[in-house]
Amino acid sequence: MDKAVKKKKLGLKQRYTTMTRDLAWETSYQDMDKVFPYDKYEGIKIHDWDKWEDPFRLTMDAYWKYQGEKDKKLYAVIDAFAQNNGQLGISDARYVNALKLFIQGVSPLEYYAHRGFAHAGRHFTGAGVRVASQMQSIDELRHYQTQAHTISHYNRHFNGMHDNIKWFDRMWYLAVPKSFFEDAFSGGPFEFLTAVSFSFEYVLTNLLFVPFMSGAAHNGDMATVTFGFSAQSDESRHMTLGIECIKFMLEQDPDNVPIVQRWIDKWFWRGYRLLTLVAMMQDYMLPKRVMSWKEAWEMYAESNGGALFKDLARYGIRPPKGWEDACEGKDHISHQAWGTFYQYSHAAAFHTWIPKADEMQWLSEKYPQSFDRHYRSRLEYWDDLAKQDDRWFNQHLPMLCQTCQIPMVFTEPGDPTKISLRETKYEGQKYHFCSDHCKEIFQHEPRKYVQAWLPVHQIYQGSCYPEDINPESPGDSPVREVLRYYGVVGGQDNGEFETSQDRHNFDGWLGKAHKPEQQTEQEANK
Amino acid sequence: MNAVNKDLMTTLGYYELAAKDSADLFFGNWLIYLSWENHLMYCSPFCLPLPTNLPFGALVRDVLPLLYGEHPEFEQIDWQRVRWYDSNEAFVPDFGKSLEQHGFDHKTLIRFETPSLEGSRSHLDGNKQAF
Repeated sequence: MDKAVKKKKLGLKQRYTTMTRDLAWETSYQDMDKVFPYDKYEGIKIHDWDKWEDPFRLTMDAYWKYQGEKDKKLYAVIDAFAQNNGQLGISDARYVNALKLFIQGVSPLEYYAHRGFAHAGRHFTGAGVRVASQMQSIDELRHYQTQAHTISHYNRHFNGMHDNIKWFDRMWYLAVPKSFFEDAFSGGPFEFLTAVSFSFEYVLTNLLFVPFMSGAAHNGDMATVTFGFSAQSDESRHMTLGIECIKFMLEQDPDNVPIVQRWIDKWFWRGYRLLTLVAMMQDYMLPKRVMSWKEAWEMYAESNGGALFKDLARYGIRPPKGWEDACEGKDHISHQAWGTFYQYSHAAAFHTWIPKADEMQWLSEKYPQSFDRHYRSRLEYWDDLAKQDDRWFNQHLPMLCQTCQIPMVFTEPGDPTKISLRETKYEGQKYHFCSDHCKEIFQHEPRKYVQAWLPVHQIYQGSCYPEDINPESPGDSPVREVLRYYGVVGGQDNGEFETSQDRHNFDGWLGKAHKPEQQTEQEANK
Repeated sequence: MNAVNKDLMTTLGYYELAAKDSADLFFGNWLIYLSWENHLMYCSPFCLPLPTNLPFGALVRDVLPLLYGEHPEFEQIDWQRVRWYDSNEAFVPDFGKSLEQHGFDHKTLIRFETPSLEGSRSHLDGNKQAF
């Protein structure tokens, strides 16, 4: 009689091979180039896909188990936060505006990343990178979901969080992150990984996550801290994919070096411009501050990034072209961005304010070269106007950069009193840019960027009015009609914080919470 | 599998596309950008759709006060002394002539400097207000 043979369990390495590498084979019914049409046209030459390293050797079954455990913990914290009215424990209602910026401008990028990595995960010929991209695609979808679930608790209590996806598609300042990511995933899979996995996740991600998550911790928002940790634990895999992809391309063929260098130049600069929003959040929107943008830049970019590019020099890669200008900007961009949102706050979907005296002092100390000299006096002037009941808003639309889509608010490197303006002509038409680097990105692929949906130009073309409005004559208040199209309630979802419903409600809730104490005191007096 | 127009856009195949901002899309107007140099209370230059036959004098009399009138230095501008630039090229405007007659175009950038009213440069004189 045959004895039942116990099936031998595969070892970790074997299981990984079976479930990943063995899923790749040379197709015979169809030409490989037809099955994988996207991974050659960018000009990257790959000779041996087996040289791709998979440092994590994670299989799907292990992935589900691990992520499931993390999610259980996260949702326990979110529930506890909701049941204990955690929103009352935050430092100040101003803090919630950082969360609004996050759910409006960052979370939709997680969803875009999910789509981008799903595409990359289908279209690379090599199985190792396909599997890594597919897992990251699922990570990014989870990140969007956990962020939406966490922040939805705040949505019940504060304005400016109820329609983030519509706003992401429509609003002028959200065109900045949106166009960044659409630029990335309309490139091929190699450019996408260089843009998102390397330039953004490997080089710049700490500048995004650390300020938001430590900011949340310092300001009493434990729910956000928890989703931050949950997401952050996937980041090491994401960063590894980024550096792995860069090294793989550089090692496969010397012809890849100039292409990769140009992508690094481009995506470092695009990522840096995008982080202007984080710089502003860090210096102006956290009632309890963590560190200044300048300090974060010095720590995460200048020192860590400097070491990275020293390491990549052996492949013939130099630091990105915009590096020096980005370092020079560390004294300025957060102040320039806050000034912009302060004056256009009536057209955004979060509140702005003038920093309090001690916060101005902090800014002076953190920015000894720039704050008092260039930025303090206009804040004080606006503060005086607001105190005379004449809170200033800029009523006219700004000029935008054709590439990064940010209003032309950045100053000349070396001269913070003068706006930096660049232009070029393509097919007889003028195009304007905020910097040499945005101009160079355009000039390399003008046919891509002439299609840019610039919010200000679209408003003037009549694309941003509700259907009942004649775009040729939008009436006495075009801005009001544009806000209606955005789905934003003026003064409630935006504008000045001091006079906002958010502030009024928050103060009221705290007053209520303190009432028993007050009563006891009054009773004692009796 | 060749990249078509590779120098102009990296793409797998050819597809029709149009510039999103061509002059014909603005109801007969041009987009004109305006920049009062060194006055950074206004975070960036402005973008406005303006009729091509708008006289330069009307631009100065009617449009600029709407844009910049709230700046404390605006009222002190001596328009005879203002220096004008079409992007980086200096020009002397004729207040009676239209934008078109000045040789401007869709998406022209008009910059102007106001000597002695230096906005954000005033900090060089130790002036407290510098925006």
